[in-house]
Amino acid sequence: MMVTLSANPAKGLAPVMTDGEYAKFCEFFYRKTGIQYQENKKYYVERRVSDRIEKTGSESFRDYFTMIRFQASGEEFQFLVNTLTVNETYFFREDYQFDALVSGILPGIAQTKQHGAPIRIWSVPCSSGEEPYSIAINILERWDQSDTWNIEIHASDIDTKILQEARGGIYSERSLARVSAQLRSKYFVRRLDGSFQICTELRDSIDFSLVNVVDPLHTRRFRDLDVIFCRNLLIYFDDVGRRETVEMFFEALAPGGFVCLGHSESLSRISSIFRPRKFKDTIVYQKPAE
Amino acid sequence: MALIKADSQTIPPSPQPPMRGLPALLADLAAADPAVRRTAVRDLAGYPQAAMNLCDLLEREANSSVRAALFSTLITLHSPAVAGRLAVHLHSDDVALRNGAIEALQEMPDAVAPHLQRLLSDDDSDVRIFAVNILAVLRHLQAPEWLAAVVRSDPHINVCAAAIDGLAEVGRPESLSDLADLRRRFAGNAFMEFAIDAAMRRIRGE
Repeated sequence: MMVTLSANPAKGLAPVMTDGEYAKFCEFFYRKTGIQYQENKKYYVERRVSDRIEKTGSESFRDYFTMIRFQASGEEFQFLVNTLTVNETYFFREDYQFDALVSGILPGIAQTKQHGAPIRIWSVPCSSGEEPYSIAINILERWDQSDTWNIEIHASDIDTKILQEARGGIYSERSLARVSAQLRSKYFVRRLDGSFQICTELRDSIDFSLVNVVDPLHTRRFRDLDVIFCRNLLIYFDDVGRRETVEMFFEALAPGGFVCLGHSESLSRISSIFRPRKFKDTIVYQKPAE
Repeated sequence: MALIKADSQTIPPSPQPPMRGLPALLADLAAADPAVRRTAVRDLAGYPQAAMNLCDLLEREANSSVRAALFSTLITLHSPAVAGRLAVHLHSDDVALRNGAIEALQEMPDAVAPHLQRLLSDDDSDVRIFAVNILAVLRHLQAPEWLAAVVRSDPHINVCAAAIDGLAEVGRPESLSDLADLRRRFAGNAFMEFAIDAAMRRIRGE
């Protein structure tokens, strides 16, 4: 069966991707990113691929596929990743995990960690930055020991465009719906166009980096982490991708370190190497001491 | 402010340098530190020729995180030979090892396929049940037919019950007559009649 793409019918563009080509594309994209698209995502994927075919002036899907596989710079593949990944988020999303962070996780880490050593937190995928900034604000506002520890917040995503936005730290009113007026005035600067920008000091305190979690060369540098926030990523992976990512987390965490997942996700269904821990209204997963 | 400017480049590097060669990685499989063994196992995913060394380690490895890495790497390096070595663990009394092997085999349909007939004919009915559990989620075109063959021929009620569960998920209309025959074979067994009726309804899309 042939599938006709019509991303821009007004221009009469009708690139064609066969079912076989779609399967081949999904297999390639999965190998490169760990993200798996099933049949039910076909329309979503095809529309975006079609858009990139048009924007790159490719003659056909076949030409475009050749480009993303063999382009030396990898630039177009990165564009495609940026297009296909979902970046919807907002400040203080699933904030019961931030409650757990400041009331249970961090105090526990502080009890066992050598003073002077930094507490390392990794937000991945960080999307446009709402999560790492929310983590920072929660720690500064609500953890009474925050002044006595050096805390590093690392934030990573596979999407270069969204990382740029995260570094810029500019957000709409909608994104700040759960942020109080007091916190807005303390950590944000109102801009003339009505948007809000995270204050410079906070923006400069977070390390944003490009990371593909299924690429060992990207993740190998993350070591001795104390907390990993990885929310709503594993749902896009297949079983093997989830296993590999969870094992990468295990490798990246210090003994006793924690993983926080999205509310619909569970590590227990993926691997038994972490220990579930209940903190207030949420379950997080702890790496045992070796 | 307690936050310090983080720089991922300043995180202490991994104790093992990247891109180590095969001999060094194989040597690390014998390291006393589980973290070193685990890193070596993960890095050996790029070396298909190390598959049998990894299967050897799986037989003696007690650390759960190293075992988990072994299963993941063996899934990556899947082959009929790897599947054959994993299938041996279906006889194991170590539940975690056995379950890990089942989950790994479920991820390598083409590699495990040549072993399934043997596993489905094993003298131990538990092993046959585990083989049916593998089949029930195997992404293999012949899985429904193999499950149907189990309900046609396996004499053990629990093996057949496991196959009914599998067919309820992946069965096709062609399986219906085999299920009807099985219902006659276990006539009067309320559980089997219930399970078979439920599976048949699901296959019919009712």
